[in-house]
Amino acid sequence: MIPLLAVEDLSYQQGRSRRWMRGRSQFHLGPINFELRAGETLAIVGENGSGKSLLAKLLVGVETPSSGDIYLNGQRLTMHNIKQRCLNIRMIFQQSNESLNPGITIGSILDEPLRLNTQMNAYERNEKIVETLKQVGLLPDHRYFYRHMLSDGQRQRVALARALILNPQVIVADEPFAALDPSVRSQIVNLLMKLQRELGLGFIFISHNLGIVRHISDKILIMQRGMAVEAGKTDTIFNWPKNEYTQKLVNSHQALVGR
Amino acid sequence: MSLLDIKNLTLEIDSASGWIKALDKASFTLADGEIRALVGESGSGKSLIVRAIVGALPDNWRITADRMTWKGQDLLSLDQQERREILRNDIAVIFQNPKQSLDPSCPLGEQLEEVIADNNVEGRFFWQKRQSRQRIAANLLHKVGIKDHRLCMQSYPHQLADDICQKFMIAMALASEPKLLIADDPTRGMEVTTKVQILKLLTRLNQIRQLSILFVSHDLLAISSMAHTMTVLYCGQTVETGPMEQLKRRPFHPYTKALMDSAPSFRKDLPPKSPLLAMDGTIPTLQHLPIGCRLGPRCPRAQRECVKMPEVRRVHSHYYSCHFPLHRSNKA
Repeated sequence: MIPLLAVEDLSYQQGRSRRWMRGRSQFHLGPINFELRAGETLAIVGENGSGKSLLAKLLVGVETPSSGDIYLNGQRLTMHNIKQRCLNIRMIFQQSNESLNPGITIGSILDEPLRLNTQMNAYERNEKIVETLKQVGLLPDHRYFYRHMLSDGQRQRVALARALILNPQVIVADEPFAALDPSVRSQIVNLLMKLQRELGLGFIFISHNLGIVRHISDKILIMQRGMAVEAGKTDTIFNWPKNEYTQKLVNSHQALVGR
Repeated sequence: MSLLDIKNLTLEIDSASGWIKALDKASFTLADGEIRALVGESGSGKSLIVRAIVGALPDNWRITADRMTWKGQDLLSLDQQERREILRNDIAVIFQNPKQSLDPSCPLGEQLEEVIADNNVEGRFFWQKRQSRQRIAANLLHKVGIKDHRLCMQSYPHQLADDICQKFMIAMALASEPKLLIADDPTRGMEVTTKVQILKLLTRLNQIRQLSILFVSHDLLAISSMAHTMTVLYCGQTVETGPMEQLKRRPFHPYTKALMDSAPSFRKDLPPKSPLLAMDGTIPTLQHLPIGCRLGPRCPRAQRECVKMPEVRRVHSHYYSCHFPLHRSNKA
């Protein structure tokens, strides 16, 4: 079976040192390998500045990797089929508050990816927006709202709707739960799991919250200083961590839960 | 004897649509040597309580309380000078965002030496005093677990990692040897390993120096690992108060239960990928607060009586305010 998303030896070197940047240590990411099947969830865990967000950006194509390949359904993603990547890999950004344009309505925010990536006409686009809003648990009327009129949870839903609207196969989320309050967070977690079950999405997310990671992910990738230090099934990693850093992480999580 | 005793603290904010009660009869007490957690979501008024205690609120807000005492002394009736005296000697606050609350234009060492009180400094002449200050500062930093104190004292806040800044804030708070430490969300946005370090540090301070801690956060995992007692806030109302163990094992208020359920780590029997129990809706904004029990519109057990504010009831040391608590079956 061909995996939905496969990453082989992906690495990234910070750009050529310019004069004023000389002497600063350069950040090097990778090489990173992993595979993701349809309907699976991969969690990326690691300390601050370990290159988690950079990896997410490489996957969606915001940054270009210096070497290595990303395969979507067995097809290599390059600059030539960037359109396909746009349609199939979507991202939810770290802060849903700031990633939504405050000057235009939610409807226009959701309209943009459709206008740029599909041949739909205005009527079809409108239909699609309403459908997606309902899918994430908002009302059709929310398309006339502006960002500031929504609560945190609703904003996160809009960010999710924007990621879902092109019917992608993979969603990459950068700390989707960090800014949310506990009671709203479980709503969003449930929503994501429901959508994943229904649509067979592959879901990659970055999080610090090991409780949630343990609950919803199938696989974990643990990163430290730009390297993937350990990867494997969630159960295996939580019960039998091998790497020193992983052991430290898991132990501190257990120490919090156990008492 | 209780160190800090707050009863029915009400805070009103003037707005276009009249006075809004941002805090509605919040009450809790803090005993000597106790770690009390103040839990609530954003906008529930946790930080407002902290600011009301230290008196950092704008003048045009109305604060009323039946009781707000520090060791028997009424905080609200004190004048500015006396209140500052208490804050200077007995209460220390760690604010929410360490990097933003430190002075960016001044090396950390200077900031730390500035808060060391003159009567702790030894020596007669200025060079002796300076050395003494530096020694005290270095000791404080070692105490909170910063090993390389020299490097840390010379650098500016932006040059250091978040967790080191946080430890530094704790060191600054401890400089005046307070009785009460108020920690406002000290572990936000931290990864697990540094979080555990900071929690251990606070617990140790509590054990060694009998320091009382008011731990304000919404990270239940962190709270449950260190706090003795917990107060749950929702939209400015205290919903439930009691010993940590009891609240964790058997919450009475539907909101406390919802909070506990939202952390999957608490439930060992939960199969992976199963849906979490979640409460519908979101936190109301201050302009649209419901009357009576503010959880009303979201509460699965709400009935008609809930438009009246429930009185505080008590079972042993466990206080709650709900008309239809979870331990009683639905008899309506």
